[in-house]
Parts: sequence; structure tokens; C-alpha cells
Amino acid sequence: MKTKKIDLDLIFEELEKRYPRGRDPWGLNLKEARKILTRILPFYSNYFSTRVFGMEKVQDGPYMVISNHSGQIAIDGLLISTAFLLETQNPILLRPMIERFMMTLPFFGKWALESGAVLGDRQNCLNLLKAKESVLVFPEGVSGVSKSTHQFYHLQRFTRGFLRLALATKTPIIPISVVGAEEFYPFVYQARSLAKLLKLPALPISPFFPFLGPLGAIPFPSPVDIYIHDPYHLPEGVSAESQDKVLDEHIFKIQRIIQEGINKGLENRRSYMDNSKRLALEFKEGIVSKLQK
Amino acid sequence: MAGGLARLTTKQLLKDYPDCQIYGVDSRYIPPENIYDERVQTRRIRYTRGHFEALFRDHDFDTVLHLGRMSHNRMNPRASLEQRLDYNVMGTKIIMDLVIKFSIKNFIILSTYHVYGAFPDTPVFLDEESSLRASLKYPELRDVVEMDQQASNWLWKNQQNVKGIIFRPCNIIGPNISNVMVEYLRSKIAPLPLDFDPVFQFINENDMARLISYAVTNIPTGIFNVANGNDVMTLHDAKKRVEKRHIPIALSIIAPLFRLINYSPWSVPDYLIEYLKYSCVISAENLNKHLPEDFFKFDTEKSLKALKN
Repeated sequence: MKTKKIDLDLIFEELEKRYPRGRDPWGLNLKEARKILTRILPFYSNYFSTRVFGMEKVQDGPYMVISNHSGQIAIDGLLISTAFLLETQNPILLRPMIERFMMTLPFFGKWALESGAVLGDRQNCLNLLKAKESVLVFPEGVSGVSKSTHQFYHLQRFTRGFLRLALATKTPIIPISVVGAEEFYPFVYQARSLAKLLKLPALPISPFFPFLGPLGAIPFPSPVDIYIHDPYHLPEGVSAESQDKVLDEHIFKIQRIIQEGINKGLENRRSYMDNSKRLALEFKEGIVSKLQK
Repeated sequence: MAGGLARLTTKQLLKDYPDCQIYGVDSRYIPPENIYDERVQTRRIRYTRGHFEALFRDHDFDTVLHLGRMSHNRMNPRASLEQRLDYNVMGTKIIMDLVIKFSIKNFIILSTYHVYGAFPDTPVFLDEESSLRASLKYPELRDVVEMDQQASNWLWKNQQNVKGIIFRPCNIIGPNISNVMVEYLRSKIAPLPLDFDPVFQFINENDMARLISYAVTNIPTGIFNVANGNDVMTLHDAKKRVEKRHIPIALSIIAPLFRLINYSPWSVPDYLIEYLKYSCVISAENLNKHLPEDFFKFDTEKSLKALKN
């Protein structure tokens, strides 16, 4: 843990150079972000045992990072952002674009903004890219994160907005694939009609949620692998104003890169039972050592 | 003319344009200390068409600064909407008609960034083209939005005849001002949301006065958001700087309850609660094109500390 603390000092020294006021108009608050990151770290490295492949492809940015979305409650965004802070040569504070509904949740909205997330809005994204910030976009939107079990790891249709914004600001795109997050809640049924009735973006029902209340919302310790792909070069002769059919060709290509990354990642997926056993063992050892003391 | 900003603007105008004559009116009592020298005359009038017409007829005005906007009644925020609509919308219409009738050269009107409204889906950096959505949720802001829209239409319609400027400033703060935000920051019983920490922009009263004076000769017709670059502060930080006590409260739970029972235990209007929950950050890029570098002299930190006493 000591090593992590030293790393955090270095990371935040770098970030303070970029954000000398320690905050920005989107609500970032470096002091609070550090506190939040400190709390996330044990989950990132231990509970979800996150591995990152291909981070050497990432330079200083800015980038538009495009990822598949999974896991019902957007923990994947948290893990990707943490990876870009910890595992890049120069820390990159990714700005995840968050669903509107999430921003209205008491406390969550506050913490999300303080740690660098922003409201998933076209204008917000454009302004961030113009300010040379790196953003994290999930082009599948809510339908990506809220899949029923039979849809796990099948990419949903990508919206076109991200490509138009990348073209408008000439921001390089980095596609990434995340494997493991779907199993945070391994058995899920999306009650779409009920969600619509309750005016919720999604309503996942699992064997534990909502039946066990907040306890049922605790994600399983599924190990997560993040695969960073080569930057997708923005096509010549295509602009933000190009017709949909012109953009679709490139969107399909990006989608294919991510899907292939997922398929490859699934072949090397670690078992979450093994991870659970490891955590249980560590927990037991921790208790024993505390009792011995 | 009775307000703090009008007093500071008068002072600034006299400094910037030593030969000018200023005629200030207000429906409220104008303290004698607001009159600086013989170049300033003040008069307390009722805001009626007749009184305004007489004023325009008797004086050969060159520039009209419309800084007065009736704010909500602190004691009874919901009761005064009709009166405010009458003053702010109808009153402004009368003044604008007279500006055209008497061929006034410059007309500056002070609106507010509140016209955009604070919503969970409000993007950061609202420009002047953004929709004015404030009254969608809170009818008590209807007068503010209607006044702004009316002035915008008038401005473009008459741009060949008069230079018109609408300023939509962020929160103007300073020891001489007593607007809703200053009252909130200084209040000891104001609710501070535990569950949100929105980003705010503040502009110092002296900077605002300097801007209005500068605009008379240096800024062209247009609608301009006013903010001091990217100098922002979260509400919790702002409250800390002012060093006043506050009531930490989960606004997402408490505020709808008070609204339901039509009761406010605090002295801030209902609509402000929305601004305490969601950030409403404006872009002043358009204005900055017309200002010299480092035009604004006071940063937020300094301005908030000035509210301590």
C-alpha cells in the first residue's frame, strides 16, 4: 500500500500542473478526487483484480476513449478512468461521460463530478475536447450497460455522435475492450417495461436485487481485463458534417475492433470463482493476523 | 439608483466620462450618499409610463442604463410574482419604447444568468444561444425570462437605430450588493446541500460596474454572458470563504418536501434551491472578444472574502 501512496503523490503532482487551481468548471476537485481514488484503489487492484493490456499505445492525449459498456452500474467507467490515471506514463485524467439520471442521484452526482466525470451531453463533450481534455465515451449508451444475461458481451448499436465530435475537434480515438464487468451481476433480467413505468433508464433484476435491498447491489468480485487497441486514425475526407452512411462505415470498423477485443479477451478470461476464493483467503488471513496481534 | 450596483456604476461613469451628466431614478428611497457631485441628479418616482415619458422629454439622454430589476420578496417569495411581472416586463417595455421614441443612442440592460435555468442536464458553458429554460420549472422566474426575451427581440429589431446591449452576468457579489446570492452567502441559516456541490461563477460588483461603464463606448450591440473566465468555485468552497455558518442538509430529500407543503424555513427563494443542486456555468467567450486582457480585477477568492463582514 505504501508504494501506491507514493504513486498517488506523483500522479497528483502531475495533475496539479495541469489543473493549477485544483478544480475546473466541470466540477473537478483534485483534493476530493484523490480521496475518492484512494477509496477506489483496493477495489481496482484487489477486489476486481484489474489488468490492463496495451497501455503503451497511449501517449499524452487528448483522446476520445471508446469502450464497450457493461456491468449494470457503470463500474467499468470507474475502472477504465483509474487505469488511465495509474497505468499511463503521464497520468491522464479521463472524463467519463455519465448518463443524466446518474447525475441526479444524491451524493453520487457530487462524487462523480469531483472525480472528473461529466454529464453525458454533446455540448459538454465538445467543450471538453476543445479544452484538450480526454473523454471516455460509451457509444452504446444505457442499452450497453443494462443488458440481460443472454446479451452479455454482445455490443449494442453505437450512436454516431462520438465520431462527429471526434472529427469536429480532430481528436484521436482509442477503442478499448473491457472483459469481466458483465459478471459483476452474472444473472440479470432487465425489466424494461417496469423501468419505463417508473421513469428509470433501466431496472436490472437479479437473484439478489432488489430482493436483498442495497446488499443485493454489491457487485461480484469478477476480475476485469482492459484491452487498449491501436488508435483509430480519423478518416481523411470525412468531416463532422458527412452523411450518416459515410460515418457508419467507420463506426462499424471501430465496433468490430472492440468486439474482436472482447472475443479474444473472453478466451483468456479469469474465473471469478478463483478471484472470490483468493479474496476469501486474504480476508481470512487478515482476520487471523489481526487476532494474533 | 438606490441599489449598490447603480451607485458603483455612477461612480465609474463619472471617472470614465468626466463630462457626463447622470440622472438616476428609483422607486425606492435613494440615500443622499448616492449623490456624489453636481453632475449627478436623482429622483424617486413611481414607475409609470407618464413619469418615464416626462423624464425622457425633459432630458436629452444619450444613454439609458436599465439596471433595476425587482427581485423576489425575501419575506414572501411566492406572493410577489404579479407585481414583479408588472415592473420587470411591462416597465422594461415602456423604457424600451421610449428609447426608440426619443432616439437614444445607447441602451444597456442588466439581465441575469438565471434565465438559463439549472437542470440536471445543463451542460457546462452555456453560451448566449442556449435556451432560456428557467421558467419551465419555477414560474417565479417567468418575469426574468420574459424581460430578457422581450429585450432580445427589441434589440435585434432596432439594431439599426440604437446600440443595445443585454448583459447576463453570473452572480454579482460584493459588500455593496444585496441580491439573492449575496443574501444566501451571508445568511447563517441558509441550507448548504450535503448531497451536491455545484460549481458557481461570481463577478465582483466593482468589475461589473466597470464593465457597464466600458460598454457604453466600447462594446457593440449584442447579448453577452458575463463571467470572469474560468474562475469558478464550488458552493461549499464559497461558503467556507465567507465564513458564515450554514445548515448542511440533503436538499434532494428536504427541498421537495418543503415545496409540497408550501413552506420555506430559509430565506432563499425556491428557485435558488435548483441552482444549489445543479451547476449552471456560462461561457463569456463572446464578451471577452471585446475586452482588453485582464479586464476583470477581482478574483472570486477576493470577492468572497469581502463578504465576510
